[in-house]
Amino acid sequence: MIENSSDVVVIGGGVAGLSTAMQLARRGVSVTVLEREQIGNGSTGRAAGLLGQLRGTAEHTRMLMDGVKIVQELEEQAGAEIYVQTGSVRVAETAEREKEIADLVEMGRSIDFDIAPMATDELAKRMPYMRTDDVAAACWCPTDGHLQPAELAAAYHKVGRDHGVRYETSCPVTGVLLDGSKARGVETPRGEFYAPILVNAAGPWSHLVAGLTGTTLPTAALGHVYLTTQPDPDHPVDRLSPGFRNRHHRIYGRAENGGLLVGIYAEECAEYDMETLPPDFDMSAMKARRDDFHLAMLIHAAQQRFPWINERTPMHVTTGIMTFSPDGLPFCGQLPDHEGLFYCSGFSGHGIVQSPVIGVIMSELILGNRSTYDIASIEADRYWGVPGFQERDEIEQRCHKMQGSYYGRLEGKSADSKTDTA
Amino acid sequence: MKILVPCKRVPDPDQKLRLNAEATDVDSTALTYILNPFDAIAVEEALCIRETTHPDAEIIAVSVAPAEGEDDLRTALAMGADRALLVEHDAQLDSWNVARLLAAVVEREQPALVIMGKQAVDDDANQTGQFLAVQLGWSQATFASQVEFTETGLRVHRETDLGIEIIHVSLPAVVTADLRLNEPRYASLPSILKAKKKPTEYTTAEELGVKPEPRVRLLSMELVHSQRNCEMVTSARELILKLRETEVIKG
Repeated sequence: MIENSSDVVVIGGGVAGLSTAMQLARRGVSVTVLEREQIGNGSTGRAAGLLGQLRGTAEHTRMLMDGVKIVQELEEQAGAEIYVQTGSVRVAETAEREKEIADLVEMGRSIDFDIAPMATDELAKRMPYMRTDDVAAACWCPTDGHLQPAELAAAYHKVGRDHGVRYETSCPVTGVLLDGSKARGVETPRGEFYAPILVNAAGPWSHLVAGLTGTTLPTAALGHVYLTTQPDPDHPVDRLSPGFRNRHHRIYGRAENGGLLVGIYAEECAEYDMETLPPDFDMSAMKARRDDFHLAMLIHAAQQRFPWINERTPMHVTTGIMTFSPDGLPFCGQLPDHEGLFYCSGFSGHGIVQSPVIGVIMSELILGNRSTYDIASIEADRYWGVPGFQERDEIEQRCHKMQGSYYGRLEGKSADSKTDTA
Repeated sequence: MKILVPCKRVPDPDQKLRLNAEATDVDSTALTYILNPFDAIAVEEALCIRETTHPDAEIIAVSVAPAEGEDDLRTALAMGADRALLVEHDAQLDSWNVARLLAAVVEREQPALVIMGKQAVDDDANQTGQFLAVQLGWSQATFASQVEFTETGLRVHRETDLGIEIIHVSLPAVVTADLRLNEPRYASLPSILKAKKKPTEYTTAEELGVKPEPRVRLLSMELVHSQRNCEMVTSARELILKLRETEVIKG
């Protein structure tokens, strides 16, 4: 075998790439993962780590239910405890959100997902640090939970390594080698790496990697922010307190280290031009200014549900970059222009929870050209050649709009569109 | 009472730094700047003074910086400072000359108190506050971890290597803030909006009647490289094995 040659080269050492590499290696494929920085440094390292299985559609919910099972298997293989099963709640304040929850409970039950309505006094008992007097309805998903994304990345990495995956860090991809329209390998400052199959799992950089072959990938790099309060003796948050989603106020969160983590999908968010960031840009060094507008929006929203949180609350603020797609769903698979060039990107803030099953789907697509899951909604070519999704500015506008409506829209049967959110 | 809070614009120290081609300074292209974290503590302390003992206090944030320094003054305004003053200056200045400019601002504004960070996180010089007090002939209380008003001045806890030193200083005074003085707030939504309407005044060294006379010349700069080989371990057991392998621990 030629040096630096393998069956598959995965571009990107975040959870999407790591999970794909691990699943391929388990199926006997030789895989090299190329990461521009350190393993798990990008969006993975900045993620809040919620594992909510309930999505707007039955098929996506089923995928995430399988994902949690995969994480639990992974715990055994990696010999590490990763998943913290806390259960999670959704709360509704308005009549339409109440209806949305009722629909989701019905949908969940129809596919044997463990879900039930929760009475407000029970909610108040489980989450005494949360305002509940204005809550009209809530539902409870006891098998939901969270994990530390770095631990998930480490588990993928370990199990992948045990199955022979090669990992190259500080190794950015600068060019794609083609043989006609077929993938042949990639160029890096550390030399060329050859493989007939390339997987673009470069997160916010993935549209730039696509650009190396002149391919348009409709993703955009958008900012995200969440806060984590320091433990407060007046508002203790038990380690096993439920995760929560409050779509009316656009916030989500969970317990973290005695404090509360709260994040937001606000109407407005920051946009990043990945091309102008320094080549050695380190997402883990990002921080919010004290007068960051998006952070102020988050604090304001968090205060509506947790009135003890304000701008003077001792807290840690995490900012990062997410990779959004125009419909909030990832791109998985090949595009018509090149053979052997697979995409695995655009997770729109849900990369951690989707990564376990995405690894399975990607390996199925790469090895057999089809998946055991219904992947019509996440196929990579769904915007191929579609007018309005080709130029960078229109793509960015559409992704930004999607981010803005992510928590604003209704889902389940109440939704007026088929697109899925969580 | 007026409180003056000098605010330095510094490169965010957590990002990766490069040098310019001549290796005379940090390469400023694509750098992110922030309000010096110790100065944010000083702003917070001024706000606390206004919220507790001196509701009439006027808080003035001042910066010596290029025009972009306005961004960081805006941070101080959004946190709650009343107005801002930018001494526009493009060239590098040593601490002595920054103190001279600040002294000229003090002459103009006549504050009873100057609170500033004990040092800036870019050059870590830890000099400007002390120089300023000397130039003004004022009392100084450096490395403050607690500040209380008394009838005749300030009672200040100072963090020293030997322990907490409690001193009393008369006003006017220069106080420099240490890390544990407080936890600075973030700006709330209404105060960010309000800050847009707060006045920022611009001046120059010349207008202040100060001609900078450098006492320190920066000859060259070099980056310190650490060759750390990071490896991920997934269990405590694996970590211990690695530590044994590399003889960090024995046995």
